[in-house]
Amino acid sequence: MGTQVEVLDENGVATGTTAIESALSYHELNAMINLWDENGKMQLDKDKLAARKYFLDHVNQNTVFFHSLQERLDYLVENEYYEKSVLDKYRFEFIEQLEKLAYSKKFRFEAFMGAYKFYTGYALKTFDGTRYLERFEDRVVMVALALAEGNEQIATSLVEEIISGRFQPATPTFLNCGKKQRGEFVSCFLLRIEDNMESISRGINSALQLSKRGGGVALSLSNIREYGAPIKKIEGQSSGIIPVMKLLEDSFSYANQLGARQGAGAVYLNAHHPDIMRFLDTKRENADEKIRIKTLSIGVVIPDITMHLAKAGEDMYLFSPYDVEKVYGIPFGDISVTEKYQEMVDDPRIRKQKIKARTLFERIAELQFESGYPYIMYEDTVNNANPVQGRINMSNLCSEILQVNTPTTYNEDLSYNEIGKDISCNLGSLNIAMVMDGPDFGQTIETSIRALTAVSDQSDIQSVRSISDGNHKSHAIGLGQMNLHGYLAREKMHYGSPEALDFTNMYFYTVVYHAIKASNKLAIERNSKFHNFENSKYASGEFFDKYTDQAWVPETSKVKELFAGSNIAIPTQDDWRELKASVMKHGIYNQNLQAVPPTGSISYINNSTSSIHPIASRIEIRKEGKLGRVYYPAPFLSEETWEYYDDAYEVGPEKIIDTYAVATQHVDQGLSLTLFFKDTDTTRDVNRAQIYAWRKGIKTIYYIRIRQQALTGTEVDSCVSCML
Amino acid sequence: MATKLISRPINWNKIEDPVDLDVWNRLTQNFWLPEKVPLSNDIQSWETLREHERKLTMHVFTGLTMLDTIQGTVGAVSLIPDARTQHEEAVMTNIAFMESVHAKSYSSVFSTLCLTADIDEAFRWSEDNPNLQKKAEIILGYYHGDDPLKRKVASTLLESFLFYSGFYLPMYWSSRAKLTNTADLIRLIIRDEAIHGYYIGYKFQQAYNEQPAAVQDELKQYTYDLLLELYENEIKYTADLYDEIGLTADVKKFLHYNANKALMNLGFDPLFPKDECDVNPAILAALSPNADENHDFFSGSGSSYVIGKHESTTDDDWDF
Repeated sequence: MGTQVEVLDENGVATGTTAIESALSYHELNAMINLWDENGKMQLDKDKLAARKYFLDHVNQNTVFFHSLQERLDYLVENEYYEKSVLDKYRFEFIEQLEKLAYSKKFRFEAFMGAYKFYTGYALKTFDGTRYLERFEDRVVMVALALAEGNEQIATSLVEEIISGRFQPATPTFLNCGKKQRGEFVSCFLLRIEDNMESISRGINSALQLSKRGGGVALSLSNIREYGAPIKKIEGQSSGIIPVMKLLEDSFSYANQLGARQGAGAVYLNAHHPDIMRFLDTKRENADEKIRIKTLSIGVVIPDITMHLAKAGEDMYLFSPYDVEKVYGIPFGDISVTEKYQEMVDDPRIRKQKIKARTLFERIAELQFESGYPYIMYEDTVNNANPVQGRINMSNLCSEILQVNTPTTYNEDLSYNEIGKDISCNLGSLNIAMVMDGPDFGQTIETSIRALTAVSDQSDIQSVRSISDGNHKSHAIGLGQMNLHGYLAREKMHYGSPEALDFTNMYFYTVVYHAIKASNKLAIERNSKFHNFENSKYASGEFFDKYTDQAWVPETSKVKELFAGSNIAIPTQDDWRELKASVMKHGIYNQNLQAVPPTGSISYINNSTSSIHPIASRIEIRKEGKLGRVYYPAPFLSEETWEYYDDAYEVGPEKIIDTYAVATQHVDQGLSLTLFFKDTDTTRDVNRAQIYAWRKGIKTIYYIRIRQQALTGTEVDSCVSCML
Repeated sequence: MATKLISRPINWNKIEDPVDLDVWNRLTQNFWLPEKVPLSNDIQSWETLREHERKLTMHVFTGLTMLDTIQGTVGAVSLIPDARTQHEEAVMTNIAFMESVHAKSYSSVFSTLCLTADIDEAFRWSEDNPNLQKKAEIILGYYHGDDPLKRKVASTLLESFLFYSGFYLPMYWSSRAKLTNTADLIRLIIRDEAIHGYYIGYKFQQAYNEQPAAVQDELKQYTYDLLLELYENEIKYTADLYDEIGLTADVKKFLHYNANKALMNLGFDPLFPKDECDVNPAILAALSPNADENHDFFSGSGSSYVIGKHESTTDDDWDF
């Protein structure tokens, strides 16, 4: 066995693979990064070998070969793989030039996970699913062509931004652009449900339609009357929200996207809805099958008053949405419970129940241990920070989308009476490390904003009119961020340290400036602004106060140097004054600009750490339906960066919240914030973190994750992920 | 019996052996039911398996069901009278119950993925398969025997060794992106079995250390003999199952690895040399009982969540 076989990498350098290693499959090589070698060292090189072997043994052998680009494009258009209209907007010579540009960048997947994920999930395949018709470069070019809509300059910038890893469109966009058989480009939808059967059934229909097209759907249940409420004045008739949840859960599992994956959905409920405890109990481990909710995600909308009642150790009243709507003439979800609390308590026309406020929080924490749910949205924090007119009463599947909505009403024949505004959001994220390394910070952001806006422009979901109408009015987009921990580790900063917080603050501060500037530029170019701009805090100029009234500068010399070293100018108060004047005059094109998603899949392709979280593990174990179990080493992981890669459980909730808090002040929508606990923590630790988050102005909390250590004596020998 | 039997209520505030409490806490915290895992997400994947692969999977699972049935209804229960502490008795009842949960959870897999006729066939197979029957016979023999230490040895070998020829397959599938939710469920079982094997082995070691040297030698010899007897049968069982898809050699290494692990749990030296235990890394890495797996919305619940410890907040916590 022991014979050495010389294996050369792309640059012709020997990688020193032995015969034994080449006998291992790429899956096995990849798994070896989760195991120590005989000398107790990490085997990071094995992952690179796995990636290489994946290309040699699988990708190259299963890729359709074309003699020329012309032949390739003709074939793909003729056989209905590529969308002809996308290509028709360009000269062939330009497409050829763009392909050349993409290939000249010598892109290589850094991790096996990235390559594997790309080819299993994103690359165009023959209809029988057996052979690949695209490499990474081809996909990038197709995405750029589709989003630039004939503009050669923008297409070129997009190829530059994407292939360099600075900007990464979200999965639905990156997956679908330019394909003839495809789903939608938009990731995420939010729908209201009103307190009537027409609206409930429309909600279910919309959930089916939107899942079929490949998005995550969240629905607000706060307006639906509670269990036991009257129907047609007859008492005790309503069965509340649980059966609606059941219907939704089944709908989502029925509508899978061409079999690719199951639909996914979330429902939100106000903490003061009388069904709140039943709602939470659906996630109990031992709940009855009839009421148990397995795959639907749940979120609780918590107003400030709930926090104050819990602080005082008092009861909290739950209000019948049916009565509230009768008394106020608007749905329960559109009422500020904090503002009307005492009034509603005193109003005998409104039926109410009471529970201990602290019991609610304890119950929430218990369930988070058992299931990771519910998400939390701090309603008043969200609305106070909202620059746009209207009310935000829900979030989405990843709790980063926060936009205003209005109700839709129906005629008796189920046709629309008045189409309200529901929410869609398309996302894309910047790789912080690559952006800091890039040549032009402002340009990167402008190109990204243009790409996201193009997605909004091209989206037209006819099957759900409230969504398409909302999108046409708002042009809302969500520019996200990822690889914060990767960047911090590479630059030798600990996550949550003063320097790291300073960096995060200044980075997001610089991003928001350029994002608004780009949207302002779009408004000027198109002579168009988002609907109801006039009544926003952008139009009044109020939004800009915090940037013009005080100077935002780095506090630490380290961060000053990082920005200076990257040649990135930090916007000054004068820059903001100028921008404010231009925005007040010309408006901005996008109602919403930023939202920081959790970035699962795309951060693997992009070789990033997820979102602005700390890493879950130095070697992450990832399981997905299509992938099976794959091991993903943190980017830039080496002996040197090892100590800066404390994982999220070691970092602890406070530092994560601190990091999100400094970022939150510059983000108009939300940021998916996962909290990580050890199994030795109790529900009280979770509650404390929730209180701390609320105090620090955090808008939403996404999953709670619990890590359990193996009992001493039961670990797998030499397993890296068992190591603390 | 001449002396009057005094009943004694169990006092958890007076712990004689802290390991009892540790293991009790861990086991109760790990409590789960098969309904937790969205097995139906595997239906599509199940359909992609070839006919003989499906049959193999079902046979493997009926084999596992058999072992869990024995362990739940006879094995763990037979260890109760030998308990050194009352707390150990309590832990053993938990183990017995969880084994029954395991046995039932394979049925959940069956009823979600397969047709009744196929399920019946698989159960018939388990009754007719000579190697599986022999395996049951050997273990049951010791459970019904009168030596408490030998019972523990048999039990540990079952928990830490015999299960793994079966566990191999779902781990293998999941490393190839097949039946990943079923693999989650199996990983929950592995998580439990790892603790069971460890605990019973630990209790064995306690009793073993109190024995005179001659008895110790005999027990040690007995352990290796039994292991080899089971091993020989297990090799036949494995070949019978895995020859058709060509995995027998790989499963054998996995058996060696786990046999050593079982011996370790009993406090004995490993039997198989290291180079016969180089398990396929994809399988070994998939085994990790730590619940640190990351998953997306579309891929089920993972094995990560536990029943939390309740603690009320105090006024200080709400001081804002």
